[in-house]
Amino acid sequence: MIVMLPEWLTPLLSEQTVKLLEYLTNGKHLAWYASFRYTVIAAVAGGLLAVVFGLLGASLKQSKWAPLRWIGNIYTTMVRGIPDVLFLLFFPLAFEQFVEWMWAYQSCTPEERAMATGWPLCDNAQWLLSSTEYLILACFSFGIVYGAFAANVIYGAMRAVPKGQLEAAHAFGFSSSQVFWHFQVRQMWVYALPGLSNVWLSLIKATSLLSLLQIVDIVQWAGRLGAPNYLPMAGLVHPDWRWKYYFVLFLLYILMTYLSERFFAYLQKRASRGMVRAS
Amino acid sequence: MTAVLDIENIHKSYNQLEVLHGISLSANAGDVISLIGSSGSGKSTFLRCINLLEMPNQGSITVAGDQIKLETNRKGERVATDAKQVQRLRSKVGMVFQQFNLWSHLTILENVTEAPIRVQGLSKAEAKDIALNYLQKVGIADKADVYPTMLSGGQQQRVAIARALAMQPMAILFDEPTSALDPELVGEVLGVMRKLAEDGMTMIVVTHEMAFARDVCSKVIFLHKGKIEEAGHPSEVFTRPQSPRLQQFLANTNY
Repeated sequence: MIVMLPEWLTPLLSEQTVKLLEYLTNGKHLAWYASFRYTVIAAVAGGLLAVVFGLLGASLKQSKWAPLRWIGNIYTTMVRGIPDVLFLLFFPLAFEQFVEWMWAYQSCTPEERAMATGWPLCDNAQWLLSSTEYLILACFSFGIVYGAFAANVIYGAMRAVPKGQLEAAHAFGFSSSQVFWHFQVRQMWVYALPGLSNVWLSLIKATSLLSLLQIVDIVQWAGRLGAPNYLPMAGLVHPDWRWKYYFVLFLLYILMTYLSERFFAYLQKRASRGMVRAS
Repeated sequence: MTAVLDIENIHKSYNQLEVLHGISLSANAGDVISLIGSSGSGKSTFLRCINLLEMPNQGSITVAGDQIKLETNRKGERVATDAKQVQRLRSKVGMVFQQFNLWSHLTILENVTEAPIRVQGLSKAEAKDIALNYLQKVGIADKADVYPTMLSGGQQQRVAIARALAMQPMAILFDEPTSALDPELVGEVLGVMRKLAEDGMTMIVVTHEMAFARDVCSKVIFLHKGKIEEAGHPSEVFTRPQSPRLQQFLANTNY
């Protein structure tokens, strides 16, 4: 047992409880709890990137120049239609191989490139990704996929900002970028937040896909820990307990949803200052 | 003496429909000019052309001797070539809107200090001093820290006037400033505007308040179907209207 119980507590607990506590605090379980950080990082960083991509996509969609509008529209229509599982499988691989391909021109000799039959083109151009790098790529994948949803939400919200107020800002000599950032973006949150909270909850759910990128996340650990467990010394430690472990994850996701809702309620209240009629 | 505003031969059309057929106006410092006419006569459109909220298809705009550079682009649209010059013009010519258009995410004080700080580059302390001074002037300094939606229409419009004044403009354009107000709130806004006129502010006012046009303005312009039908000192225009259209318009208007 890694975590020590206070001495006064031990006599109060039955032997079975102590055993359970010991079991739940063994090395593998602690690793399970620690893997929760991947989920949180992927959700928070992915969410922030989604807002960035969303703002970018929305501003492209309302651009004065048609080619930029097309790019914005292609981004939101196409990426929204791609299943997030597929994109999570596709993007990190594609990105990795693209980087390797670029590297090949730097670090492989022309002979090596000509001779190469497989991938990578030479040993120097091989990029073995660590968990951290996979996690970063996962954050970008989430950012790109959910950014497309966020872009549509933000685009709609920006159009809901009263035209007259933007006109007033123009009439007082603000530059176009000032009008965009200080008035349109500043005011759109109150209209965007309900939609963004939907996007956020979908993203939180999608974090359960991290194991697709060989990241040993909470879902992966739950599967491993719940599987029937034999030890040569002790015999069968427990039978198939996966449902119990997955059930704990249910509760965890529900808790995250609840906390998110509280957080969005707080943001909504902040963003609505001055927006609600008193009468 | 250079005119504060010198607007020449403004034409404006939407698609095929021409709504302004060459309107000119010149205002010297201290002039209070009202634009009157029935709905659809083009008076608001003309006012909005002055600070380029509407882009005129033809004509020139000169503010204190500085002519706005306009050109026709390849698609045949009129565009301003110098965005900075347009911003400079707009920061010199204030505007008060029919629907007030206060910025709802900012408090009353912030509404008045926002443009002086971000557009004119004043320090926060300077801008606040100026803002409180003008909020005092329009009688609403005690509401400095509330949000616009907490105020009545008349109060909001007075704040909007303070917001325009805080830019220390050379002229202020008023686009039907009392048309969205309940009748009992019209007086407080007109009172503030009278005081401004007495203080020598140059004002161009689109209005349906004939009493204001008659008593306060130095010049009245009557627009009809996108043309100046009649113009002159209010004592002339209101007592001896020449054009039958103006006679009819005045006969149908209670004041």
